[in-house]
Amino acid sequence: MKRIYAFFLVLSLLTIGACRNKPTAEEPKKIAVIVSTLNNPWFVVLAETAAAKARALGYEAKIFDSQNNTALEADHFENAISSGFNAILFNPTDADGSIANVSKAKAADVPVFCMDREVNSNKSATSQILSDSYSGCIALGKYFVKKLNKKGKYVEILGLVGDNNTWARSKGFHSVVDHYPGLKMVAQQSADFDRNKAMEVLESILQANPDIDAVFCGNDAMAMGAYQALYAAGKANHVQVFGFDGADDVLNSIKEGKIKATGMQYPKVMAETAALYAQEYFNGKRNFPQKVPVAVELVTPENIKNYSAN
Amino acid sequence: MKKFLKYLLALIAFLFIGYHSVYFKKLTEVSARTSTEKINISQYTRTFWNKKLLPSLNKALSLNELIALLKTDPEKAFSTYGKALGIGDLKYFMVKGVGKVMKVNENEVALLSTATTENLVVNIATEYVYGNAVRDASGLINTNDFDNTSDFNEISAGINQIIRDEVLPDFKKRIASGDRIEFVGAIELNKKFLNLSDIEITPVQLKILK
Repeated sequence: MKRIYAFFLVLSLLTIGACRNKPTAEEPKKIAVIVSTLNNPWFVVLAETAAAKARALGYEAKIFDSQNNTALEADHFENAISSGFNAILFNPTDADGSIANVSKAKAADVPVFCMDREVNSNKSATSQILSDSYSGCIALGKYFVKKLNKKGKYVEILGLVGDNNTWARSKGFHSVVDHYPGLKMVAQQSADFDRNKAMEVLESILQANPDIDAVFCGNDAMAMGAYQALYAAGKANHVQVFGFDGADDVLNSIKEGKIKATGMQYPKVMAETAALYAQEYFNGKRNFPQKVPVAVELVTPENIKNYSAN
Repeated sequence: MKKFLKYLLALIAFLFIGYHSVYFKKLTEVSARTSTEKINISQYTRTFWNKKLLPSLNKALSLNELIALLKTDPEKAFSTYGKALGIGDLKYFMVKGVGKVMKVNENEVALLSTATTENLVVNIATEYVYGNAVRDASGLINTNDFDNTSDFNEISAGINQIIRDEVLPDFKKRIASGDRIEFVGAIELNKKFLNLSDIEITPVQLKILK
Protein backbone atom coordinates (compact mmCIF):
# COMPACT_ATOMS: atom_id res chain seq x y z
CA MET A 1 0.00 0.00 0.00
CA LYS A 2 2.79 2.37 0.99
CA ARG A 3 4.48 1.73 -2.35
CA ILE A 4 1.34 2.73 -4.21
CA TYR A 5 1.16 5.98 -2.18
CA ALA A 6 4.85 6.65 -2.88
CA PHE A 7 4.29 5.99 -6.58
CA PHE A 8 1.40 8.48 -6.78
CA LEU A 9 3.31 11.04 -4.72
CA VAL A 10 6.28 10.90 -7.10
CA LEU A 11 3.95 10.99 -10.10
CA SER A 12 2.14 14.08 -8.72
CA LEU A 13 5.39 15.88 -8.03
CA LEU A 14 6.63 15.14 -11.54
CA THR A 15 3.35 16.38 -13.02
CA ILE A 16 3.47 19.61 -10.98
CA GLY A 17 7.10 20.08 -11.94
CA ALA A 18 6.29 19.68 -15.62
CA CYS A 19 3.54 22.32 -15.46
CA ARG A 20 6.08 25.07 -14.78
CA ASN A 21 8.49 25.01 -17.61
CA LYS A 22 11.30 26.88 -15.91
CA PRO A 23 14.52 27.17 -17.85
CA THR A 24 17.57 25.58 -16.29
CA ALA A 25 20.59 27.63 -15.31
CA GLU A 26 22.25 26.94 -18.68
CA GLU A 27 19.24 27.94 -20.79
CA PRO A 28 18.87 31.63 -21.64
CA LYS A 29 16.23 33.50 -19.68
CA LYS A 30 12.96 34.17 -21.48
CA ILE A 31 11.31 37.55 -21.89
CA ALA A 32 7.69 37.99 -23.00
CA VAL A 33 6.76 41.18 -24.84
CA ILE A 34 3.01 41.66 -24.41
CA VAL A 35 1.73 44.57 -26.50
CA SER A 36 -1.75 46.13 -26.67
CA THR A 37 -2.00 45.87 -30.46
CA LEU A 38 0.13 45.12 -33.49
CA ASN A 39 -2.43 46.81 -35.71
CA ASN A 40 -0.73 50.18 -35.26
CA PRO A 41 2.81 50.68 -36.63
CA TRP A 42 3.79 52.70 -33.54
CA PHE A 43 3.21 49.67 -31.27
CA VAL A 44 4.90 47.36 -33.76
CA VAL A 45 8.06 49.48 -33.40
CA LEU A 46 7.69 49.38 -29.61
CA ALA A 47 7.27 45.59 -29.46
CA GLU A 48 9.90 44.72 -32.06
CA THR A 49 12.48 47.03 -30.49
CA ALA A 50 11.86 45.51 -27.03
CA ALA A 51 12.19 41.97 -28.40
CA ALA A 52 15.28 42.84 -30.45
CA LYS A 53 16.98 44.47 -27.47
CA ALA A 54 16.14 41.48 -25.25
CA ARG A 55 17.66 39.13 -27.85
CA ALA A 56 20.72 41.37 -28.19
CA LEU A 57 21.19 41.05 -24.43
CA GLY A 58 21.24 37.27 -24.78
CA TYR A 59 17.67 36.36 -23.85
CA GLU A 60 14.90 34.53 -25.67
CA ALA A 61 12.05 36.88 -26.57
CA LYS A 62 8.52 36.33 -27.82
CA ILE A 63 5.91 38.94 -28.80
CA PHE A 64 2.24 38.49 -27.78
CA ASP A 65 -0.46 40.66 -29.40
CA SER A 66 -3.39 41.49 -27.06
CA GLN A 67 -5.46 42.99 -29.92
CA ASN A 68 -6.69 45.71 -27.55
CA ASN A 69 -8.55 43.02 -25.57
CA THR A 70 -7.89 42.66 -21.84
CA ALA A 71 -9.25 39.07 -21.82
CA LEU A 72 -6.73 38.07 -24.47
CA GLU A 73 -4.09 39.96 -22.55
CA ALA A 74 -4.98 37.90 -19.45
CA ASP A 75 -4.49 34.70 -21.48
CA HIS A 76 -1.07 35.93 -22.58
CA PHE A 77 -0.08 36.58 -18.97
CA GLU A 78 -1.27 33.10 -17.93
CA ASN A 79 0.72 31.56 -20.79
CA ALA A 80 3.82 33.61 -20.06
CA ILE A 81 3.76 32.69 -16.37
CA SER A 82 3.07 28.99 -16.88
CA SER A 83 5.61 28.74 -19.72
CA GLY A 84 8.34 29.97 -17.41
CA PHE A 85 9.01 33.43 -18.88
CA ASN A 86 11.31 35.28 -16.49
CA ALA A 87 10.17 38.84 -17.21
CA ILE A 88 7.41 40.66 -19.07
CA LEU A 89 7.87 43.85 -21.07
CA PHE A 90 4.35 45.13 -21.18
CA ASN A 91 2.31 47.67 -23.10
CA PRO A 92 -1.08 47.60 -21.30
CA THR A 93 -4.42 47.56 -23.05
CA ASP A 94 -6.29 49.32 -20.26
CA ALA A 95 -4.90 51.40 -17.37
CA ASP A 96 -7.37 49.83 -14.90
CA GLY A 97 -8.27 46.56 -16.60
CA SER A 98 -4.63 45.47 -16.92
CA ILE A 99 -3.79 45.82 -13.21
CA ALA A 100 -5.06 42.31 -12.39
CA ASN A 101 -2.79 40.79 -15.04
CA VAL A 102 0.27 42.62 -13.76
CA SER A 103 -0.58 41.61 -10.18
CA LYS A 104 -0.85 37.97 -11.26
CA ALA A 105 2.69 38.13 -12.66
CA LYS A 106 3.92 39.83 -9.51
CA ALA A 107 2.40 37.06 -7.39
CA ALA A 108 4.32 34.57 -9.52
CA ASP A 109 7.57 36.56 -8.98
CA VAL A 110 7.71 37.57 -12.63
CA PRO A 111 8.77 41.22 -12.96
CA VAL A 112 6.69 43.44 -15.27
CA PHE A 113 8.09 46.55 -16.94
CA CYS A 114 5.41 48.75 -18.50
CA MET A 115 6.27 50.59 -21.70
CA ASP A 116 4.57 53.78 -22.93
CA ARG A 117 1.19 53.12 -21.29
CA GLU A 118 0.77 52.95 -17.53
CA VAL A 119 -1.42 50.93 -15.19
CA ASN A 120 -3.23 52.84 -12.47
CA SER A 121 -1.34 51.21 -9.65
CA ASN A 122 2.01 52.05 -8.10
CA LYS A 123 2.38 48.65 -6.50
CA SER A 124 1.94 46.13 -9.31
CA ALA A 125 4.55 46.73 -11.99
CA THR A 126 8.27 46.64 -11.21
CA SER A 127 8.72 49.89 -13.12
CA GLN A 128 6.78 51.94 -15.69
CA ILE A 129 8.69 53.69 -18.46
CA LEU A 130 6.34 56.27 -19.93
CA SER A 131 6.34 59.12 -22.40
CA ASP A 132 5.95 62.41 -20.56
CA SER A 133 2.80 63.16 -22.56
CA TYR A 134 1.60 65.85 -20.16
CA SER A 135 4.79 67.93 -20.43
CA GLY A 136 4.99 67.34 -24.18
CA CYS A 137 1.50 68.73 -24.59
CA ILE A 138 2.30 71.75 -22.42
CA ALA A 139 5.01 72.59 -24.97
CA LEU A 140 2.50 71.99 -27.79
CA GLY A 141 -0.08 74.11 -25.96
CA LYS A 142 2.36 77.03 -25.68
CA TYR A 143 3.18 76.81 -29.37
CA PHE A 144 -0.52 76.52 -30.22
CA VAL A 145 -1.36 79.73 -28.30
CA LYS A 146 1.55 81.58 -29.92
CA LYS A 147 0.60 80.47 -33.44
CA LEU A 148 -3.05 81.43 -32.95
CA ASN A 149 -2.01 84.70 -31.34
CA LYS A 150 -4.20 83.91 -28.30
CA LYS A 151 -7.50 83.93 -30.15
CA GLY A 152 -9.62 81.74 -32.42
CA LYS A 153 -11.89 78.71 -32.57
CA TYR A 154 -10.52 75.22 -32.35
CA VAL A 155 -11.46 71.54 -32.26
CA GLU A 156 -9.85 68.89 -30.09
CA ILE A 157 -9.82 65.28 -31.32
CA LEU A 158 -9.13 62.86 -28.48
CA GLY A 159 -7.68 59.34 -28.55
CA LEU A 160 -9.14 56.30 -26.79
CA VAL A 161 -11.11 57.63 -23.82
CA GLY A 162 -10.03 54.69 -21.61
CA ASP A 163 -6.33 55.35 -22.15
CA ASN A 164 -4.44 57.51 -19.62
CA ASN A 165 -2.28 58.97 -22.40
CA THR A 166 -5.38 60.48 -24.00
CA TRP A 167 -6.11 62.49 -20.87
CA ALA A 168 -2.50 63.27 -19.99
CA ARG A 169 -2.16 64.87 -23.44
CA SER A 170 -5.47 66.68 -23.26
CA LYS A 171 -4.82 67.96 -19.73
CA GLY A 172 -1.30 69.14 -20.59
CA PHE A 173 -2.66 71.02 -23.60
CA HIS A 174 -5.56 72.59 -21.69
CA SER A 175 -3.30 73.53 -18.74
CA VAL A 176 -1.94 76.22 -21.09
CA VAL A 177 -4.69 76.95 -23.60
CA ASP A 178 -7.47 77.41 -21.02
CA HIS A 179 -5.68 80.47 -19.65
CA TYR A 180 -6.61 82.32 -22.84
CA PRO A 181 -10.31 83.22 -23.02
CA GLY A 182 -9.92 84.29 -26.65
CA LEU A 183 -9.40 80.65 -27.61
CA LYS A 184 -12.73 78.83 -27.87
CA MET A 185 -13.02 75.05 -28.18
CA VAL A 186 -16.09 74.52 -30.38
CA ALA A 187 -15.96 70.70 -30.30
CA GLN A 188 -14.11 67.93 -28.46
CA GLN A 189 -14.63 64.41 -29.75
CA SER A 190 -12.87 61.04 -29.66
CA ALA A 191 -11.56 59.31 -32.76
CA ASP A 192 -9.81 56.42 -30.94
CA PHE A 193 -6.33 57.36 -32.24
CA ASP A 194 -7.56 56.27 -35.69
CA ARG A 195 -6.82 58.19 -38.89
CA ASN A 196 -10.05 57.36 -40.75
CA LYS A 197 -12.22 58.00 -37.72
CA ALA A 198 -10.54 61.38 -37.18
CA MET A 199 -11.30 62.31 -40.79
CA GLU A 200 -14.97 61.36 -40.39
CA VAL A 201 -15.24 63.11 -37.01
CA LEU A 202 -13.79 66.35 -38.35
CA GLU A 203 -15.88 66.21 -41.53
CA SER A 204 -18.99 66.12 -39.38
CA ILE A 205 -17.75 68.85 -37.00
CA LEU A 206 -16.93 71.11 -39.95
CA GLN A 207 -20.56 71.03 -41.06
CA ALA A 208 -21.63 72.78 -37.85
CA ASN A 209 -18.41 74.79 -37.40
CA PRO A 210 -17.03 75.79 -40.80
CA ASP A 211 -15.03 78.71 -39.37
CA ILE A 212 -12.46 76.96 -37.15
CA ASP A 213 -8.84 78.11 -36.97
CA ALA A 214 -7.09 75.04 -35.58
CA VAL A 215 -7.36 71.34 -34.70
CA PHE A 216 -5.46 69.74 -31.85
CA CYS A 217 -5.19 65.95 -32.18
CA GLY A 218 -4.12 63.42 -29.54
CA ASN A 219 -1.86 61.58 -31.99
CA ASP A 220 -0.32 61.94 -35.44
CA ALA A 221 -2.56 59.41 -37.18
CA MET A 222 -5.57 61.54 -36.23
CA ALA A 223 -3.71 64.71 -37.28
CA MET A 224 -3.24 63.20 -40.75
CA GLY A 225 -6.95 62.26 -40.85
CA ALA A 226 -7.91 65.77 -39.76
CA TYR A 227 -5.68 67.27 -42.45
CA GLN A 228 -7.37 65.06 -45.08
CA ALA A 229 -10.80 66.29 -43.98
CA LEU A 230 -9.65 69.92 -44.12
CA TYR A 231 -8.05 69.38 -47.52
CA ALA A 232 -11.27 67.87 -48.89
CA ALA A 233 -13.22 70.84 -47.51
CA GLY A 234 -10.78 73.33 -49.06
CA LYS A 235 -9.68 74.64 -45.66
CA ALA A 236 -6.23 73.07 -45.34
CA ASN A 237 -4.43 76.36 -45.99
CA HIS A 238 -5.93 78.35 -43.17
CA VAL A 239 -6.67 75.80 -40.45
CA GLN A 240 -3.62 74.84 -38.38
CA VAL A 241 -3.29 71.15 -37.38
CA PHE A 242 -1.30 69.91 -34.39
CA GLY A 243 -0.47 66.26 -33.67
CA PHE A 244 1.49 64.13 -31.22
CA ASP A 245 3.90 61.17 -31.74
CA GLY A 246 6.55 62.23 -34.22
CA ALA A 247 5.40 59.84 -36.97
CA ASP A 248 7.32 60.02 -40.26
CA ASP A 249 4.36 61.16 -42.36
CA VAL A 250 3.69 64.04 -39.96
CA LEU A 251 7.35 65.05 -39.91
CA ASN A 252 7.21 65.23 -43.71
CA SER A 253 3.95 67.18 -43.49
CA ILE A 254 5.54 69.69 -41.10
CA LYS A 255 8.36 70.12 -43.61
CA GLU A 256 5.81 70.69 -46.38
CA GLY A 257 3.84 73.17 -44.25
CA LYS A 258 0.73 70.99 -43.97
CA ILE A 259 0.89 70.21 -40.24
CA LYS A 260 1.98 72.88 -37.75
CA ALA A 261 3.66 70.87 -34.98
CA THR A 262 3.90 67.54 -33.16
CA GLY A 263 5.40 66.09 -29.99
CA MET A 264 8.25 63.67 -30.70
CA GLN A 265 7.99 60.49 -28.65
CA TYR A 266 10.74 57.91 -28.37
CA PRO A 267 9.24 54.39 -28.45
CA LYS A 268 12.65 52.82 -29.09
CA VAL A 269 14.11 54.47 -25.97
CA MET A 270 11.21 53.18 -23.86
CA ALA A 271 11.45 49.65 -25.27
CA GLU A 272 15.23 49.42 -24.92
CA THR A 273 15.12 50.82 -21.39
CA ALA A 274 12.51 48.21 -20.40
CA ALA A 275 14.74 45.40 -21.72
CA LEU A 276 17.78 46.82 -19.91
CA TYR A 277 15.76 47.06 -16.68
CA ALA A 278 14.83 43.36 -17.06
CA GLN A 279 18.51 42.55 -17.37
CA GLU A 280 19.28 44.60 -14.25
CA TYR A 281 16.50 42.72 -12.46
CA PHE A 282 18.04 39.38 -13.42
CA ASN A 283 21.35 40.67 -12.07
CA GLY A 284 19.79 41.32 -8.68
CA LYS A 285 18.63 44.95 -8.78
CA ARG A 286 15.30 45.49 -7.03
CA ASN A 287 14.95 49.21 -6.27
CA PHE A 288 13.59 50.49 -9.60
CA PRO A 289 11.89 53.88 -9.85
CA GLN A 290 8.16 53.25 -10.13
CA LYS A 291 7.71 55.75 -12.96
CA VAL A 292 10.35 56.87 -15.42
CA PRO A 293 9.22 59.72 -17.67
CA VAL A 294 10.74 59.87 -21.14
CA ALA A 295 11.01 63.41 -22.53
CA VAL A 296 8.79 64.43 -25.45
CA GLU A 297 10.25 67.10 -27.74
CA LEU A 298 8.34 69.78 -29.62
CA VAL A 299 8.81 69.57 -33.40
CA THR A 300 7.91 72.66 -35.45
CA PRO A 301 8.86 74.11 -38.84
CA GLU A 302 11.60 76.04 -36.99
CA ASN A 303 13.44 72.88 -35.84
CA ILE A 304 12.17 70.21 -38.28
CA LYS A 305 15.65 69.88 -39.79
CA ASN A 306 16.76 68.17 -36.55
CA TYR A 307 14.12 65.46 -36.79
CA SER A 308 13.49 64.87 -40.47
CA ALA A 309 15.79 62.37 -42.17
CA ASN A 310 14.67 63.34 -45.67
CA MET B 1 -24.68 26.96 32.10
CA LYS B 2 -21.32 26.33 30.42
CA LYS B 3 -23.08 26.19 27.06
CA PHE B 4 -24.75 29.53 27.79
CA LEU B 5 -21.40 31.09 28.64
CA LYS B 6 -19.89 29.72 25.42
CA TYR B 7 -22.70 31.19 23.32
CA LEU B 8 -22.44 34.50 25.17
CA LEU B 9 -18.70 34.75 24.60
CA ALA B 10 -19.15 33.79 20.95
CA LEU B 11 -21.84 36.46 20.57
CA ILE B 12 -19.63 39.11 22.21
CA ALA B 13 -16.72 38.11 19.96
CA PHE B 14 -18.99 38.20 16.89
CA LEU B 15 -20.34 41.65 17.79
CA PHE B 16 -16.86 42.97 18.57
CA ILE B 17 -15.40 41.76 15.27
CA GLY B 18 -18.51 42.83 13.33
CA TYR B 19 -18.42 46.34 14.81
CA HIS B 20 -14.75 46.80 13.96
CA SER B 21 -15.06 45.28 10.46
CA VAL B 22 -17.56 47.72 9.02
CA TYR B 23 -17.68 51.47 9.24
CA PHE B 24 -19.78 54.11 7.55
CA LYS B 25 -18.75 57.55 6.37
CA LYS B 26 -20.72 60.36 4.83
CA LEU B 27 -19.92 61.01 1.17
CA THR B 28 -19.45 64.67 2.08
CA GLU B 29 -16.66 63.67 4.48
CA VAL B 30 -14.92 61.62 1.81
CA SER B 31 -15.22 64.43 -0.68
CA ALA B 32 -13.95 66.89 1.95
CA ARG B 33 -10.95 64.62 2.52
CA THR B 34 -10.20 64.64 -1.21
CA SER B 35 -10.32 68.44 -1.18
CA THR B 36 -7.96 68.48 1.79
CA GLU B 37 -5.54 66.29 -0.16
CA LYS B 38 -5.75 68.78 -3.01
CA ILE B 39 -5.10 71.64 -0.61
CA ASN B 40 -2.06 69.75 0.60
CA ILE B 41 -0.63 69.85 -2.90
CA SER B 42 -0.98 73.62 -2.97
CA GLN B 43 0.44 73.81 0.56
CA TYR B 44 3.29 71.58 -0.56
CA THR B 45 3.96 73.94 -3.47
CA ARG B 46 3.98 77.01 -1.23
CA THR B 47 6.27 75.34 1.32
CA PHE B 48 8.51 74.11 -1.50
CA TRP B 49 8.72 77.64 -2.93
CA ASN B 50 9.49 79.33 0.41
CA LYS B 51 11.60 76.77 2.19
CA LYS B 52 13.38 74.86 -0.55
CA LEU B 53 13.41 76.71 -3.87
CA LEU B 54 14.17 80.29 -2.77
CA PRO B 55 16.96 79.29 -0.33
CA SER B 56 18.55 77.15 -3.07
CA LEU B 57 18.79 79.98 -5.61
CA ASN B 58 22.20 81.13 -4.37
CA LYS B 59 23.54 77.87 -5.80
CA ALA B 60 22.35 78.77 -9.31
CA LEU B 61 25.06 78.66 -11.93
CA SER B 62 26.18 81.84 -13.69
CA LEU B 63 24.59 81.86 -17.15
CA ASN B 64 27.81 83.10 -18.72
CA GLU B 65 29.83 80.34 -17.10
CA LEU B 66 27.37 77.77 -18.35
CA ILE B 67 27.42 79.15 -21.89
CA ALA B 68 31.22 79.14 -21.91
CA LEU B 69 31.29 75.52 -20.76
CA LEU B 70 28.61 74.50 -23.26
CA LYS B 71 30.79 75.90 -26.02
CA THR B 72 34.00 74.21 -24.89
CA ASP B 73 32.80 70.99 -23.28
CA PRO B 74 29.04 70.42 -23.72
CA GLU B 75 29.25 66.85 -22.39
CA LYS B 76 30.67 68.09 -19.10
CA ALA B 77 28.19 70.97 -18.91
CA PHE B 78 25.23 68.61 -19.28
CA SER B 79 26.56 65.88 -16.99
CA THR B 80 27.64 68.29 -14.25
CA TYR B 81 24.86 70.85 -14.21
CA GLY B 82 21.96 69.49 -16.28
CA LYS B 83 19.04 68.09 -14.37
CA ALA B 84 16.13 65.93 -15.53
CA LEU B 85 13.72 63.62 -13.78
CA GLY B 86 13.51 61.09 -16.57
CA ILE B 87 15.24 59.83 -19.68
CA GLY B 88 15.88 61.92 -22.78
CA ASP B 89 17.83 64.80 -24.24
CA LEU B 90 15.94 67.62 -22.52
CA LYS B 91 17.88 68.91 -19.51
CA TYR B 92 17.20 71.79 -17.18
CA PHE B 93 19.56 74.28 -15.57
CA MET B 94 19.04 76.87 -12.84
CA VAL B 95 21.00 79.96 -13.88
CA LYS B 96 21.61 83.49 -12.67
CA GLY B 97 22.98 86.61 -14.27
CA VAL B 98 22.78 90.30 -14.99
CA GLY B 99 21.72 91.93 -18.22
CA LYS B 100 20.54 95.00 -20.05
CA VAL B 101 17.01 95.08 -21.45
CA MET B 102 17.12 95.43 -25.23
CA LYS B 103 13.41 95.27 -25.91
CA VAL B 104 10.19 94.69 -23.98
CA ASN B 105 7.95 92.47 -26.09
CA GLU B 106 4.41 91.28 -25.50
CA ASN B 107 5.48 87.81 -24.39
CA GLU B 108 9.08 88.22 -23.30
CA VAL B 109 11.83 90.64 -22.41
CA ALA B 110 14.93 90.46 -24.63
CA LEU B 111 18.04 90.81 -22.56
CA LEU B 112 21.68 91.35 -23.43
CA SER B 113 23.52 89.24 -20.91
CA THR B 114 26.52 91.26 -19.69
CA ALA B 115 29.81 90.28 -18.04
CA THR B 116 30.60 88.07 -20.96
CA THR B 117 33.23 88.25 -23.65
CA GLU B 118 30.63 88.13 -26.38
CA ASN B 119 27.12 89.46 -26.68
CA LEU B 120 24.49 86.95 -25.73
CA VAL B 121 20.81 87.77 -26.10
CA VAL B 122 18.41 85.72 -24.02
CA ASN B 123 14.67 86.04 -23.45
CA ILE B 124 13.01 86.28 -20.07
CA ALA B 125 9.55 84.68 -20.43
CA THR B 126 6.88 87.04 -19.14
CA GLU B 127 3.77 85.46 -20.66
CA TYR B 128 4.16 81.74 -21.37
CA VAL B 129 5.28 80.52 -17.96
CA TYR B 130 4.23 76.88 -18.19
CA GLY B 131 5.98 73.51 -18.02
CA ASN B 132 8.43 71.82 -15.70
CA ALA B 133 11.57 73.92 -16.20
CA VAL B 134 11.67 75.39 -12.67
CA ARG B 135 10.57 72.22 -10.85
CA ASP B 136 13.09 70.06 -12.69
CA ALA B 137 15.98 72.55 -12.77
CA SER B 138 15.77 72.89 -9.00
CA GLY B 139 16.74 69.22 -8.63
CA LEU B 140 14.86 69.24 -5.33
CA ILE B 141 11.84 67.06 -6.17
CA ASN B 142 11.79 63.35 -6.84
CA THR B 143 9.03 61.86 -8.96
CA ASN B 144 8.92 58.73 -6.77
CA ASP B 145 7.90 60.78 -3.74
CA PHE B 146 4.47 61.10 -5.37
CA ASP B 147 1.94 58.33 -5.72
CA ASN B 148 0.43 59.70 -8.89
CA THR B 149 1.74 61.63 -11.82
CA SER B 150 -1.02 64.22 -11.79
CA ASP B 151 -0.05 65.42 -8.27
CA PHE B 152 3.50 65.70 -9.47
CA ASN B 153 2.41 67.77 -12.46
CA GLU B 154 0.32 69.97 -10.19
CA ILE B 155 3.50 70.97 -8.34
CA SER B 156 4.80 72.47 -11.58
CA ALA B 157 1.48 74.18 -12.27
CA GLY B 158 1.56 75.62 -8.73
CA ILE B 159 5.12 76.91 -9.08
CA ASN B 160 4.28 78.54 -12.42
CA GLN B 161 1.18 80.14 -10.91
CA ILE B 162 3.30 81.72 -8.13
CA ILE B 163 5.65 83.10 -10.81
CA ARG B 164 2.75 84.51 -12.87
CA ASP B 165 1.01 85.97 -9.80
CA GLU B 166 3.92 87.18 -7.69
CA VAL B 167 7.12 87.47 -9.71
CA LEU B 168 5.92 88.91 -13.01
CA PRO B 169 3.15 91.52 -12.50
CA ASP B 170 5.28 94.19 -10.81
CA PHE B 171 8.24 93.46 -13.10
CA LYS B 172 6.09 93.80 -16.24
CA LYS B 173 4.66 97.09 -14.99
CA ARG B 174 8.03 98.69 -14.29
CA ILE B 175 10.42 97.26 -16.86
CA ALA B 176 11.63 99.40 -19.77
CA SER B 177 14.25 99.23 -22.49
CA GLY B 178 17.69 100.13 -21.20
CA ASP B 179 17.04 98.90 -17.65
CA ARG B 180 19.61 96.64 -16.05
CA ILE B 181 18.22 93.58 -14.35
CA GLU B 182 19.39 90.75 -12.17
CA PHE B 183 17.74 87.39 -12.71
CA VAL B 184 17.61 83.81 -11.46
CA GLY B 185 15.63 81.31 -13.48
CA ALA B 186 15.43 77.98 -15.24
CA ILE B 187 16.33 77.11 -18.81
CA GLU B 188 15.68 74.02 -20.91
CA LEU B 189 18.33 72.82 -23.34
CA ASN B 190 18.31 69.89 -25.75
CA LYS B 191 21.53 67.94 -25.40
CA LYS B 192 21.34 66.44 -28.88
CA PHE B 193 20.18 69.56 -30.70
CA LEU B 194 21.87 72.28 -28.68
CA ASN B 195 20.73 75.76 -29.69
CA LEU B 196 22.27 78.67 -27.80
CA SER B 197 20.71 81.34 -29.99
CA ASP B 198 17.20 80.92 -28.60
CA ILE B 199 17.52 80.64 -24.83
CA GLU B 200 14.37 81.31 -22.84
CA ILE B 201 14.58 81.84 -19.09
CA THR B 202 11.61 81.03 -16.87
CA PRO B 203 12.21 83.54 -14.09
CA VAL B 204 12.11 82.74 -10.38
CA GLN B 205 13.60 86.01 -9.15
CA LEU B 206 13.81 89.32 -11.01
CA LYS B 207 15.29 92.57 -9.77
CA ILE B 208 15.42 95.84 -11.72
CA LEU B 209 18.75 97.55 -10.92
CA LYS B 210 18.17 100.73 -12.99
